[in-house]
Amino acid sequence: MTKTQMTRKDYLLDQKQKGRHIFGVFPAQYPKELLWAMNVVPAEIWDPPVEITAANAHLQPYICSVVRFGLELVLEGKCDFLDGFLFPHTCDSIQNMASVIHDYIGANKPCYFFYHPKNPHGKAAREYYVLELKNLMRSLEKQLGPLNPDALKQRIQQGHKISSLFGEFYDLRAKGELDVGNGEFYEQIRRGEYLFPDDLIPELEGFLARNKGKGEKRLMPVILSGVLPNPPEILTLFDELGVRVSHDDLLIGSRRLLVPPSNLKDPFKQLAESYFSMPPCSTKGAPIVKRREYLLSLIKATGAKGVIFNVVKFCEPEWFDVPNLTDELKKRGTPTLVLDTELNQGLSGQMKTRVEAFVEMIS
Amino acid sequence: MRLWRFKGLSMTYFAGIDIGSLTTEVVILDSNADMLSYSINLTGADCNEAVDQALGQALSRAGLSRDQLSFIVATGYGRVTIPFSDKKITEISCHGTSAHHLFPDTETVIDIGGQDSKVIRIDKEGKVLDFTMNDKCAAGTGRFLEVMAGAFRVSLEDFGQLSLKAEREIPISSVCTVFAESEVISLIAQNQAREDIIRGLHSSVVNRIWNMVQTVGVHGAVTMSGGVAKNRGVVVLMEEKLGKPIHIHTEPQIMGALGAALLAKRHFLQEK
Amino acid sequence: MSFAQKARYNFMKDLGAPALMWLRQSQRKKRPRKPNPYLGPPLKCAGRLREIMTRHYYLSRFSKGAKPVAWVTSGAPVELLRVFDFYTIYPENHGALCGAQKKGPEICSEAEKKGYHPDLCSYARIDLGHAFSGKTPAGRLPRPDLLFCANNICQTVLYWYKELSYYWNIPLIIFDTPYNFQDIREKDIEYMVCQFEEMIPELERISGCKYSHDRFMKIIGIARESASTWGRVLATMKHRPAPISIFDAFVHLAPIVSLRGLPIALDYYRILLDELEERVAKGIGAVTNESKRLMWDNIAVWFKLRDWSLLFAERGLNFVAATYTNAWAETIHYLDEMSPFESMARAYSLVVLNNSLNYRLKLMEQMIRDYQVDGLVILSLRSCKPYSVGQYDLRRLLGERLGIKSVVIESDMTDFRAYSEEQTRTRLEAFFEALEV
Repeated sequence: MTKTQMTRKDYLLDQKQKGRHIFGVFPAQYPKELLWAMNVVPAEIWDPPVEITAANAHLQPYICSVVRFGLELVLEGKCDFLDGFLFPHTCDSIQNMASVIHDYIGANKPCYFFYHPKNPHGKAAREYYVLELKNLMRSLEKQLGPLNPDALKQRIQQGHKISSLFGEFYDLRAKGELDVGNGEFYEQIRRGEYLFPDDLIPELEGFLARNKGKGEKRLMPVILSGVLPNPPEILTLFDELGVRVSHDDLLIGSRRLLVPPSNLKDPFKQLAESYFSMPPCSTKGAPIVKRREYLLSLIKATGAKGVIFNVVKFCEPEWFDVPNLTDELKKRGTPTLVLDTELNQGLSGQMKTRVEAFVEMIS
Repeated sequence: MRLWRFKGLSMTYFAGIDIGSLTTEVVILDSNADMLSYSINLTGADCNEAVDQALGQALSRAGLSRDQLSFIVATGYGRVTIPFSDKKITEISCHGTSAHHLFPDTETVIDIGGQDSKVIRIDKEGKVLDFTMNDKCAAGTGRFLEVMAGAFRVSLEDFGQLSLKAEREIPISSVCTVFAESEVISLIAQNQAREDIIRGLHSSVVNRIWNMVQTVGVHGAVTMSGGVAKNRGVVVLMEEKLGKPIHIHTEPQIMGALGAALLAKRHFLQEK
Repeated sequence: MSFAQKARYNFMKDLGAPALMWLRQSQRKKRPRKPNPYLGPPLKCAGRLREIMTRHYYLSRFSKGAKPVAWVTSGAPVELLRVFDFYTIYPENHGALCGAQKKGPEICSEAEKKGYHPDLCSYARIDLGHAFSGKTPAGRLPRPDLLFCANNICQTVLYWYKELSYYWNIPLIIFDTPYNFQDIREKDIEYMVCQFEEMIPELERISGCKYSHDRFMKIIGIARESASTWGRVLATMKHRPAPISIFDAFVHLAPIVSLRGLPIALDYYRILLDELEERVAKGIGAVTNESKRLMWDNIAVWFKLRDWSLLFAERGLNFVAATYTNAWAETIHYLDEMSPFESMARAYSLVVLNNSLNYRLKLMEQMIRDYQVDGLVILSLRSCKPYSVGQYDLRRLLGERLGIKSVVIESDMTDFRAYSEEQTRTRLEAFFEALEV
C-alpha cells in the first residue's frame, strides 16, 4: 500500500511502529525541521472529522471551530496514541486551549509550547526566535534524547526541497498547467500536514510527474485567502463553476509552505532567517501593508479576477485584517468576497448563492 | 404592440422562476421584454409541485403553453431543483438586472426577503459590482419581523402600519431574534405602547440593513425589492436614513423572477 | 510641536481646566443624590476622581501639537513613554467610558459599517468606530503620533492597533511579551529588555525628546508607589464589612490604568486609601448589610454597573475581589530602580492574563481565601478570549477544591446588543437561591 492510499491514522500508526514519535501539533507556525530531526512526525490538528460534543463542556460557543475541534479530538481519546503535543502561540484561543489541556484537563503526555515573536521588526525578535528554537530543542531532548546536528542539517535540506516542490505546485497552478481539480490540489497540499519528509517528497514528486503540463488554462482564476479550505465542498463548487484557485494566501497554504531557503551556516539561524522571510501572516503580527502587497503580487502574477476570503468564524487575527484588505483590493479594481464559515458544516444554500453570485459578477 | 405580437408568429417568450423558501414567483416576458403575466405561490414542502403550479398559472394568464417558452432561467434557493430550466442564475444578479430595467438610475438594490437580506451595488448597465448578505442569524430579515408580529398577534401588513403610528420609539437593544422576543415580551408586560415597541423593532431591522448598505456604499438611486418592501414601516425608516426616496415596484416580490426572465431573454439572444 | 499649541495647552492646563472643573462642581452641588438604603454613604473622593478623569479627557483635546500623543493599551509599560512626555490616551478606558454611557452599540456599528465583524472585541470596535466617525462622549480625542501596544493582555490589541496604524499611517511600537506557559524564563526577560533598547531611539525620534535615565527612575518609583497604594486600596476589602465594593473599584481603577507613572494618580490613591481606612475604623461598609462576599471574574459590564451594584446590595451581597482590578496591583511592585528594564519586563509579562491558567486558578484560590469569598460570578465575555477561554474548567476546579458556589453569565462589556436581561436575571436569581440570600 502506498502512503497516499493509507488513511492518515494508519500512516501515523505505521510510523509509530517504525519507531518514530508522533506529536499532535496545533496550528500554525512551528519549526517542522527540528521535529523531523528528532525523529518526530508532526501530525497537525486543524479540522478533524469529529462531532463536537464533549468540548462544549469546556469552551463557550463563541470560540472558533479550529479550537473546538482540536479539543474535541483530545477529549474523545483520539490522541491517546500520540507521544506529545506541541502548541505554537498562534492566537489567544489556542494559547488558552493549550493551558486548558495542560493545566486543567491533563494531557497525560508531554506538552510543549512554542512562542514565536509577534514583533517581527527588530533584531531582538530574530535573536529570540533562535533562542526559542534552542529551548524547544532542549526540552525535546529531555524526552527523546540528544539531537544529532547532522540530522538537523539534513532535515533542513529536505525542508528546502519540500518548499521548492510546493513552489512548483503553485507556479503550475497559476499558469493553469496542473491537471487537477481544486479539491485534489488541496488534498495534496494538505498531505504535508502529517507525512514525514521521507515520504512527502516522493509523494509530491509523483504527483507533479502525473499531473504536470496539461490542465485547463481558461478556468476563472481566483485567489483564496483565509485559514484553510474548509468546508471542502467549497472547492467542489469552484470546480463546478469553472473557477481555478490560481494561488492562495491561506494559513495552511502559501503562508506556511513557501519558505525561502537560507544560506546561513548555523542551522538555527538558517531556520530563523527562513521564518522571517516567509509570506506575511496575521498570526505573526505582519503589518497590513505587507499582506496587501503580497495579495496584489499574487493577483498580478496569476491574473486572478477576484479574491475570496474564506474566514473561520471567530478567527480574530484574520477578521481584523479583512476590512482593510478588501477595501484596498476593491479600490484597485479586484472584486472580493468574504465568507464566514464554520468547519465541517458543509455549504449552506446561502453560501452557495454568495459564491455563485460572485462568480457571475466577475465573469 | 399587440398587433405586432399577432403578426410575428415567430414571437419568442421567456420565463423567470424564483424559488424562495417561502414563495415561488414566475414572470413571463415577450421578446420586447414586456411582462405578459406573473404568479406568486407558496413554495410549501414540495418545490417541484410549487414550480409546476406557479408556472402553469402564469402561462395560463399569458395564454401560452410551456413549449412556447424559448428560454427559462431559474433563481432563488430552489434554482437547482428545477430540472427543465435552461440556466440557473443567482438572485443577486437577477435583482440587479430587474432593478436596472425598471428604474434605470438605480445603483443600489436593497432586497429584504424572508430568510435573508442583500445589498447589491450595480453599474449603469445593471451589472453587479459588489454585494453583501446578512450572516446566518435572522436579524435584519423578514423572518425577524414575522416572529415579532407573531409576538403581538398582528398580521405582517398591519405591523408596518402600526409602526408609523408610533409617537416615540422604544429602542430594542438585542439583535438576536430570541433575545429580542423576550425583551419585547417584558416591554409588553410593562404596558409600553405597542406602536412604540413596534417602531423600535422596525428600527432594529433597518439599522441592521443600514450597516450592510454602508459596507457596500450608497451610490445613485436606491431600489428596494423583496416582500418586506411592502412594509411601509421599514421603507419610511430606510428613506429617513438614506435621505432620499426609494424606488419600489408595485409587486416587489416578483423582482427576482423578473430579473430571471430578463436574463433568460439576454441569454437566449446571446446563444442565438 | 508649535509654540502656540504649547502655550494654549499650558493655558488650558493651568486656567481653562480648573475653571471648567469649578463650574461643573458648582452645578453638581445643586442636585444632591438621595441616599440609597442598601448602599453605604458615597465616597467623598468620588468627586475628585471625576474631576481628574474629566480633566484628563478635556485637556487631551489641547494636547495635539503641544505634546507628543500616544494611544496605549492598558497593559503597556507606559513608564517608558512618560520619560518622553507623551500625552497618553487609553482606548480601553475610553471604551469603558462609552460603555458606561451606553454608547457601545452606536459607536461599534460605525466600525461594523466598514466591515469589522460584530464578533470582534467591542473595545476594538468602539475605538475603530470612533476613529472612523469621531463619535465619542468625551468631546474629542487627539489623533495619536504613536501607537503603543503590549500583547500581555491579549493578541487582539495587536491586530487592533495594526488597523489603526494602517488607517492613519502612524508608527506602531509593539512590546512583545512571551506568554508564560510555565515559569518565566531568563531569555524571555532578555528579549523584552532588548525590545526596550530598540524602542528608545524610536521614541526619541517621534517625541523629539531625549531619554533621561534620572527621569525614568523617578517615574518607575511613582508607578510602583501608585500600584502598591492601589493594592492597599483593594486590600481594605479584606475587612468585614468591606469599605468599598468591586463595582466602586471598577470606577476608581481609571487613574492607575490611564495616569500610571504620574504623581496625580499616586496622590489620588493616597486620599482614597485614607478615606477607606477611616471607613474601616468606623465600620462603614459599601453595602449596608453585608452578609455574603463575592468575587468577580473578568472585565466589568460597564453598562450594568449601577443596576447591578443595587441588585446585589439589596440582597446584602458585596463584591470584594476581582482578578481584573487586581491586575494593576499584582506585579508592578516588581519595578525596581536598580534594574529598571529587567524589572519592568517582569512586572509587565507576569500579569494574570499572560500566565497559564494554572496560575490564574492558584491566584483565585488565594484571593478567595484572603478575602473570605462566599460566591463567584464569572462573566463569560465574547470580546475577551484570554479572559474567557477556560472559565468553565476554572469554575469546576474552584468548586471542587473550595466548594465555592458560582454562576456564569454571558454578556459583552459594552455592546449590549449581545446581552439578554431576562436570561441573565434568571441565572442570577438561581445563584441567589443557591447562596440562600
